Amino acid sequence: MQDLLNAATLGSIYLLFALGMALVWGTIGILNFAHGATFMFSAFVGHLVSRETELPFLGVIGVAVVTGAVISTLTQLLAFQPILKRSKSQHHAEMRILIGGIGVAAIPLALAQRETRSSPFGFTSSYKAEVFEILGLRLTTTSAVIIVAGLAMGIGLTLWLRRSRQGLALRAIGVDAETSSGMGVNRTALALGTMAVAGALAGLAGALLTFHLGAIAPETGDQLIIKAFAVIVLGGLGSMLGTVIGAYVLASAETFVLYMNWGTWVDAVSFGLIFLILLARPQGLLGRKEVRRT
Amino acid sequence: MSDWYYMNVVLIQTTLTTLLLALSIQVPLRFGVFSFAGIGAFGIGGYGGAMAMVHLEWSTWPSVLVGTLAAGVAVFLLGLVVQRLTGLYMGMATIAFTLIVSVVAVNGGDLTGGAGGLYGALGEITMTHIVVVVVAVIALLAFTEARGLGRRIDTVREDPELANALGIDVANYRRLSFLVSGLLGGLAGAITTLLRSTITPAEVNFHLVIVALTAIVVGGARSWLGALIGAVIFVWLPTWLSFVQEWEKVAYGFIVAAAAIYLPNGVLGVAKDLLHRFRTREERARVAALQETR
Repeated sequence: MQDLLNAATLGSIYLLFALGMALVWGTIGILNFAHGATFMFSAFVGHLVSRETELPFLGVIGVAVVTGAVISTLTQLLAFQPILKRSKSQHHAEMRILIGGIGVAAIPLALAQRETRSSPFGFTSSYKAEVFEILGLRLTTTSAVIIVAGLAMGIGLTLWLRRSRQGLALRAIGVDAETSSGMGVNRTALALGTMAVAGALAGLAGALLTFHLGAIAPETGDQLIIKAFAVIVLGGLGSMLGTVIGAYVLASAETFVLYMNWGTWVDAVSFGLIFLILLARPQGLLGRKEVRRT
Repeated sequence: MSDWYYMNVVLIQTTLTTLLLALSIQVPLRFGVFSFAGIGAFGIGGYGGAMAMVHLEWSTWPSVLVGTLAAGVAVFLLGLVVQRLTGLYMGMATIAFTLIVSVVAVNGGDLTGGAGGLYGALGEITMTHIVVVVVAVIALLAFTEARGLGRRIDTVREDPELANALGIDVANYRRLSFLVSGLLGGLAGAITTLLRSTITPAEVNFHLVIVALTAIVVGGARSWLGALIGAVIFVWLPTWLSFVQEWEKVAYGFIVAAAAIYLPNGVLGVAKDLLHRFRTREERARVAALQETR
């Protein structure tokens, strides 16, 4: 039972991180490799600010969320938009967007490594996690917040994409970018907004994980990128609900492996799982059928 | 040889092995297959070669050969399994393969030396050997390209359906690309390992994917010359940037991002454009006509 709770916490962290990547990738078709760096740097700015002033829990999170949104928007404005403007089509830009993201990601990583000498950093905050005992289960306030935030964001984004006008426009871009702009969808503005939301989610995930673990290292974001990649492909690109399921499936599989004491096999089992699911369903668990991006 | 050569032997060797690794990613890309299996092949080749030397006490070149062949066979089989996947799903499955290779290496006990890696596989490889191998590989690639295969490959990448209609067996070409990718990656891994006498699981990681991708895109994605330029830039840029000292990594990030934005066809593309300007008018018209017909 305790393991289930741990899996839920881990899954929610994966979810918060992967949601932003999935949103951007599934709608405006940008695979943002700077997402991990945005995540890390938001927590890092939170660390810097909390070092100077003793911020409360929500204050640190606010700083991280805003930082994430700003970095993400800047990445879109200064790197991805110029790349798209100079390409024949989205398809031709794919690889360069990947590399552009890798380049952008190297900058905050190098800055944080320089400042911290590559050692982990945490927050100086007045916040202390409390431990509850419910039915013999140990639950910290941080885990509770993480689980609630993960589920809320997952459900919220799913509903927003399905019900709202912007959601409709975003999904339209995902299906056929050319036609949707012909129908009056402002792609540039929507893309910026989507990147800002994704960045804010990365910031939230960064702050919460740092509170949960006490400290994170500058390289933490890079490891999460691979996990998020796995979560999105597992759930199916373009489906937020799929991302939610993918995150919890991956976290459960990993927790199970740890529970069985096969610790060193943890990555092999989770990626083996992805391998199997992809072979059975090449578009992921809830992925839509092939969309031709021409 | 000059002092410069003796001071930079290691960097020159790294450039050449990085070139082989980059080619192992570039070959499938040229067929329109997004496969990172070459990185896994790097690990299999490295471990295969080291195991043959350490456990079986084989001499250098049989060990390299066995590592290379093992990697080629493994990646070819992987290709058979994942050939239904497309685009980034293929990318994910092949990254999963790579990570599984490294986890197997961690758990291989005495056979692979576990997390600490395998030591004592010092081969007798000289600079001449490496240069001969690399020149032979490039000559083979350039030869097959010149024999009309290059045009067929372009067709397979740009329009698989058209290629099928023209009687080109697309699936067969893709399987071939996996085999070649595995052999090249395995060769790179075996040579690198026997040069340094060790290999650890940590070396077969996602970072290598980024190394190879960046080298290809910054250099030029369409030919072996681009991969060479990319490998040179990737290996030497950090040493050239040492004058900015602590800001080296930040500058590196900026340069990679700028290359993705401003050099759509990599450094090789810029060189071709410059060459194009020096040509006489008639020649330009002839080239244009040639490109029309392609």
